[in-house]
Amino acid sequence: MENVDELIKRIQPYFSELSVQEFMSTPVITVHEDQSVLYAKELMRLWRISGLPVVDDQKRLKGIISIEDIIHALESGSLDLPLSEKMTKNVISLSKYDKIMEVVKKFEMHGFGRFPVIDEQRHAVGMVTKQDLMIALLKKLSILYVHDTKREDFVGVDEFRSIPKNVKFEKTEFEFQIDYKEISLAGTGAAELKKFLLSRNFDPKFVKRIAIATYEAETNVVIHSNSTGRIKAYIEPDFVEVRVNDNGRGIENIELAMKEGYSTAPDYVREYGFGAGMGLSNMRKCADKMVVLSSKGNGVFVEMHFWRHDGES
Amino acid sequence: MKVENLKDLGFEMIISNQEEIIHGYTCDLLSEVMGKAKANTVWITVQSHVNIVAVAVITGIKAIILCDDRKYESETIDKAKSEGIALFITPMSAFEASGKIYELGIR
Repeated sequence: MENVDELIKRIQPYFSELSVQEFMSTPVITVHEDQSVLYAKELMRLWRISGLPVVDDQKRLKGIISIEDIIHALESGSLDLPLSEKMTKNVISLSKYDKIMEVVKKFEMHGFGRFPVIDEQRHAVGMVTKQDLMIALLKKLSILYVHDTKREDFVGVDEFRSIPKNVKFEKTEFEFQIDYKEISLAGTGAAELKKFLLSRNFDPKFVKRIAIATYEAETNVVIHSNSTGRIKAYIEPDFVEVRVNDNGRGIENIELAMKEGYSTAPDYVREYGFGAGMGLSNMRKCADKMVVLSSKGNGVFVEMHFWRHDGES
Repeated sequence: MKVENLKDLGFEMIISNQEEIIHGYTCDLLSEVMGKAKANTVWITVQSHVNIVAVAVITGIKAIILCDDRKYESETIDKAKSEGIALFITPMSAFEASGKIYELGIR
């Protein structure tokens, strides 16, 4: 197991510009400092949260009330006291402009599960939990499209498998170098992969899904990357994994690129019938699981998983 | 129907094969064709460059009809020969060509 610092350092370029306001939970649920501890406890129970920012009349952050504070109040029989007397006053908060790395450090340093977010006037404007942080990282790193419960496995366990350079993959059985830049050759690798899979007796329908998705990924490398790339496939009896990567320009906005019809293809490519903005969505439809990892200037890495479906025997 | 029967509809055959046609699809956007054409399809298009053969191989398209009097590039013909994809040309528009094939019950 690699240590976390090492991983964070490696993936840092992908999200260093992300700031708190982009991923905090908002609007934030707050409680007034004159309210009782009992009231805060009820709010926390209703919203199922473990900490509430405490604010004054102007919504400025005065403190935070946590489950721990409530337990103390219970023990000392002071549930009826106002929050201003029982809350934690030295609150560690985040500025909405803090960058994500600072947030990671704060979570590490203080060991809290959540931080309130304030603006210039100390108004409580949001909340960041470890879950918000994790989702922000995953969103920035990759876009996960999954049609089934396997998503949980992925998010929970394997998120870092998809990072280039971190790949320790020894059983690759198919490899194709996309070492050309002519559009007319686009699809050569996908056609090779199709033949390879058919020769391994995979069902033609199953193979077609894989070939289409690979074709789109390969075409993207040729049209967009302005560099060369590689297709790798790994097979098991009921499963095929395809990875396509390049060292090119990268995708600036993955979410936008994922939208059907969105395209940055140049006109000469469109005249050939490419560049309709359907490639990534075709891939998403064909694959059971797909991760696209990219940022500007850092190339694109696509990993697609295909499970053999019923009817694809 | 057999690929060769497309000749009977007035399409000029450039390359033949012995495949069966069950479906038809008309579109010029390759990704659309990739995503939607079924196996054993005749594809009606105005695209003539060599990539159409790759699209056909991957999706299981067996025959391509090039409309509006366009000509295939020589690369396309070479590639189609080696991959066993039938090629046709016609002066008809894609709409007319599709209509003819539709009338035969191809969907």
